[in-house]
Amino acid sequence: MDDALALTVSDLRVLGDDGRAILTVPHLAVPQGAAIGIRGPSGAGKSTLLFALAGLASRASGRVAWGTTDIVAMGEGDRAAFRRERIGMIFQDFLLFEELGALANASLAASFAPRRRRGAIARQAGATLARLGLAGGARAVASFSGGERQRVAVARALSTDPAIILADEPTASLDRETADRLVDDLVALARETGKTLIAVSHDPAVHRRMDRLVDVVDGTLAAEAPADA
Amino acid sequence: MPDAVADLWQTLPVMAQDIAWFVLLLLPALVVGIVVLAGYRPFALVGAILWRFRWTSLLFVALIAVSVGIGVGLIAQERGLRQGTARAADKFDLIVTAPGSEVTMMMAAVYLQPVDAPLLSGAVYNEIASHDRVSLAAPIAFGDSYRAAPVIGTTADFVSHLSGDLATGRLFATHGEAVIGARVALDIGDSFEPAHGAGPAAEEGAHAGAAYTVVGRMRPSGSPWDKAILVPVEAVWAVHGLPDGHGPQHEGALGPPFDADYFPGTPAILVRAEELWANYALRSDFTRADTMAFFPGAVLARLHSLLGDVRQVMSVMAIVTQVLVTAGVLAGLVILTRLFSRRLALLRALGAPRRFVFAVVWSYAAALIGAGAALGIGVGVAATAIISRVVTARTDILVRASLDWPELHLVAGFVSLTVLLALVPAFVALNRPVAPELRA
Repeated sequence: MDDALALTVSDLRVLGDDGRAILTVPHLAVPQGAAIGIRGPSGAGKSTLLFALAGLASRASGRVAWGTTDIVAMGEGDRAAFRRERIGMIFQDFLLFEELGALANASLAASFAPRRRRGAIARQAGATLARLGLAGGARAVASFSGGERQRVAVARALSTDPAIILADEPTASLDRETADRLVDDLVALARETGKTLIAVSHDPAVHRRMDRLVDVVDGTLAAEAPADA
Repeated sequence: MPDAVADLWQTLPVMAQDIAWFVLLLLPALVVGIVVLAGYRPFALVGAILWRFRWTSLLFVALIAVSVGIGVGLIAQERGLRQGTARAADKFDLIVTAPGSEVTMMMAAVYLQPVDAPLLSGAVYNEIASHDRVSLAAPIAFGDSYRAAPVIGTTADFVSHLSGDLATGRLFATHGEAVIGARVALDIGDSFEPAHGAGPAAEEGAHAGAAYTVVGRMRPSGSPWDKAILVPVEAVWAVHGLPDGHGPQHEGALGPPFDADYFPGTPAILVRAEELWANYALRSDFTRADTMAFFPGAVLARLHSLLGDVRQVMSVMAIVTQVLVTAGVLAGLVILTRLFSRRLALLRALGAPRRFVFAVVWSYAAALIGAGAALGIGVGVAATAIISRVVTARTDILVRASLDWPELHLVAGFVSLTVLLALVPAFVALNRPVAPELRA
């Protein structure tokens, strides 16, 4: 596995609406294919870090490089294109289109992808849904359980076969048993295909399955800790 | 070059010009749609948003439909009235009356609105009837009524002119016989006594003993004459105690020729010439100190052109109303897009290009506008159908509701304009920050 999309963060500062720094990351390096947990107290800036890694921070300085691509230096359109090609995102409250079925949600990216990629996205979405034990039927996801919804969201994140998965509290809305199963599936899917997985989480069960953990405290990335801490 | 285009345009059939206009007016909407949507398939998402906010969407569609319906209805109704009144006047080529108001006399002689009018003498009548070019000169003697139906004294020839063949029965042949319009509530064989005058002022019993028997019924004409009762003009005179138009030694049938000395007068005479052009000669012949001659069609056209100005003012008002309603709807859309701003932020997070998010919001607005406009055509036609029925019932002038190109042009222009305006809420939706929306 080459390190073409290894993450290197240096001197990242994200400013809030009032112009003060809400997150400072002096240095962070993640090899491609690693599974990293980001933990820390609520409001410490974990999600801010994750969004900055995705190029969604509107006021950021410093360097967030995926391989040689510095996402901070890019314009908005290029960042979106990078996310489209390379990143899959998972959110705490799923953010599905409730009126659409599982497959329609999971293959959402096909609606704005170039024509030649649409078939592959739909196939990948269907395959991941099947792998996660969900039929791709037309039943609207509004009637799905939390666990089912998050699995649809995982299938959506993987539908473009991205090299990077960014997950924001993926288990926080799920019960214990469902959460465990979801993390197992998510980590397994990421490891099988050599994807980098970066998950913000409070959940020790998530932490245990990561290669290593980093702590965000008071808006600053602190020292790294071993994964079983 | 513009001349060549104009020449080409003139060579097109009217239908092709109408279609070309329609396409031309709709073109901006189509171009915007193609440019905004190129390469994307946002329809499933738009469908999901429409369904999620179905009641709000329905309300917006209904508002647009009502405002479009008002515009469509206004144009269709005005045309229906114009065509209906013209059709009702179709059989009345030239009317000769005593000098006065052409409009008043047209209302009386063609549309049977009661009016007190001075009479034309037998000499005038004979002069007209014996004119070389005249094929039909029929007195139209109004003034009496039976219930709501005007009783008109005239000749059997005029009945044939109005109706062609009768629907049932035969023409009147004696004083006591009458032919009724298609929608008069009497049957063949019924007898009735006319009242003097019409409406609330009618004197019941003024003509006691003078009964008519219905012997025939005319075909429907879509004019107030469908509610009229036609009797021999001689009978009208006789009922009023006047000479009956024929001298004492007259033993013959009803109708012309009349003896000028025994001719009590008629308020109006319908004149029909052998050839169309001769009408103009007749009109100038009988436009003089003691008579007035006019074409009801021309009077009507003047009225219509007057109303045409009113129609244009009203059309502008209808368009302004439509645009205002749509502006309100679009302002509502700006607020509504806040409700699905999380989903739009999600699309951005997934890497959707800005233009795709823009396309989703615009398509949603365009779907509301398109549905509202299509529904509005239906609302307009339905409203016109109802109003036409009411007008027909009240005036006895058959007014038909129809859908024609001017309405479709209006709707096409409306769709193009508002679909362009819908770009604004789409821009507004784009300029919200993404990250704050994504947090739980």
